[in-house]
Amino acid sequence: MLRFWEKRALTGVVTEHRGFENDIAQIRSALKDEVKKRFAGSLAIRMVDSGSCNACEAECNALSNPLYDLERLGIRFVASPRHADVMLLSGVLTFNMYHHVMDAWEQIPEPKWCITLGDCPVMQAPFRQSFAIKGPAEAHLPVAYHIPGCPPSPEVIMRGLLAFLRSLD
Amino acid sequence: MRLIARYAIDRGDAIEVVTRYDETSESVHLDAKAPAISTIATTHPAAIWFERKLSDDFGIFIEGAFDRRPLVHHERFPKNLHPMQKSFAQNTLDFAEFTPYKFEAVGGDGVFEVAVGPIHAGIIEPGHFHFSQAGEDMLHQEVRHFYKYRGIEKMVEGMKLAEAKPIIERISGNESVAYQIAWRDIAAQAAGVEVPLPLRRYHAFLLELERFIHHWIDLGFIPNDAGFGAALAYASRLAEEGRRMMASLSGHRFGFGAVTWRKQRIETKPILAWLERMAKEAAWFEEWIMDIPSLWDRLDTTGRLRHEKAVKYDCVGVVARAGGVPVDVRMTPFYIEHGYRMQTRAHGDVGARFKVRLAEVKNSLEMMHRFLERDAFSMEVSFAKEGRYEAFVESSLGELYMMVEIEDGAIDRFFARDPSFINWQALHLMMPGNIIADFPLINKSCDLSYAGNDL
Ligand code: SF4
Repeated sequence: MLRFWEKRALTGVVTEHRGFENDIAQIRSALKDEVKKRFAGSLAIRMVDSGSCNACEAECNALSNPLYDLERLGIRFVASPRHADVMLLSGVLTFNMYHHVMDAWEQIPEPKWCITLGDCPVMQAPFRQSFAIKGPAEAHLPVAYHIPGCPPSPEVIMRGLLAFLRSLD
Repeated sequence: MRLIARYAIDRGDAIEVVTRYDETSESVHLDAKAPAISTIATTHPAAIWFERKLSDDFGIFIEGAFDRRPLVHHERFPKNLHPMQKSFAQNTLDFAEFTPYKFEAVGGDGVFEVAVGPIHAGIIEPGHFHFSQAGEDMLHQEVRHFYKYRGIEKMVEGMKLAEAKPIIERISGNESVAYQIAWRDIAAQAAGVEVPLPLRRYHAFLLELERFIHHWIDLGFIPNDAGFGAALAYASRLAEEGRRMMASLSGHRFGFGAVTWRKQRIETKPILAWLERMAKEAAWFEEWIMDIPSLWDRLDTTGRLRHEKAVKYDCVGVVARAGGVPVDVRMTPFYIEHGYRMQTRAHGDVGARFKVRLAEVKNSLEMMHRFLERDAFSMEVSFAKEGRYEAFVESSLGELYMMVEIEDGAIDRFFARDPSFINWQALHLMMPGNIIADFPLINKSCDLSYAGNDL
């Protein structure tokens, strides 16, 4: 146990203050004022993978590592669509996932937003249209915002989420 | 004999079914009008999914099969449609009427079923687990997947090998380098060239780096699922360091596009220093984690896959090695010369899988030391001779098998068997004797891919 605390003290706080801390401060106040009513000061995201390669999910998981620590912004990934404000959709929207994605979308209470994550849901990834794919997502869902990349890095996802919040006004 | 894969190729008036074992390969030609073949699932239970897929893909009747349910074709998939036949050319499908899927379930007084998925609670790929429960005790579990089925085998048909590469490297993001190396080996064979040593070393370095990242993610999530979150904070930081190293070498955090016929000059000093530092971090982590009895209370004896079962189900990767089955594609002179040592454990439980991963991370770092070279290298590879080519790569999940048939310079048939396709079929064997709260822990300790499996 002592060894642990020694390591803990030596490592210190590793969370990085990325180049957009100013943006974050501004968004925080935006969250506080305008969006407070809608999001109660915190934004809840339900991530839905509709047929990804799993790299987009891995980057979303990386958002909780100590270097990015997304939760400090008041943005959380939640387990149930019923607790969510936003559906974050990755993957190519496969034939086999189509109805499950629509179900999850139905379960999110109003007001709600759909954000597409990565090049897959907009059919910009190298995958070709195939019989097993129902994409692009915007043909089936009201997409409010898109975060491009293959996959978008944690930093790009953070910037994207902040830009989405800003686009709400 | 270990079963590796069973797949088919449409030859027009015949359908060829190939059964690939570790030592041999058998080929049978079936009448395309009424294709039928006997099951081998009585001796190799892992053949079940391959055979169900043969029925879905090609309409092949499996004689003596005890499971005739569709596999990749879900409830609303149009009936009697076999997309891997050459004559199938549709680019889109309409939803058919809903046909319920009959899950495997155990009956009896007080036995009930728990259905989980396809959308799970965390940030995780979609799949379905169906449990038969007596109170907390798991009696049986069925794994049902293929929600992510993208039709990649068909998608790449008719493409040149180079054209298909961006797709192949995105089959499974966690194993991108592994898939690229399989692609490279096939492209080299089709061009009639040997992959030169500098490239083999560089790509092997990237593959071990990919394993380093992937194993650290698991080494964090396994204790996390047992309620020890500090380990996740620690391990996910190291995984992130690995990703950044991958990005600095290849320009991509997952190494997409990293395996080519070219290698740039590398500044080795900072990388060697990084490897030293990571070795120290791993040693510290090991000492720390081994010393937490309450954690090992949860990991030891949980989710046990016995040696005989691992052999019977033809398991691969960490799942097999943790149960004392020494299968690893890296068991070659090239790897052994560079410091590779087979890592096995006897118990086949969550704790054993954790320990195998930890030992492999440390071994990967040693090998990366020896794989690292400074000098640039480049070559041209283009011409693709007709023929059938195979590749085996030890991805972070286990043995990856890929087969490509080239005709007129383009892909005529592409087949990939992710290690997960085999190991998923053995997952249910780890359930009896455990409670449902152990499931996430067991599942995470195997860390199987859905994307690679669902293709
Ligand atoms: S956008 Fe790229 S990284 Fe994300 S799921 Fe699709 S292929 Fe994978």
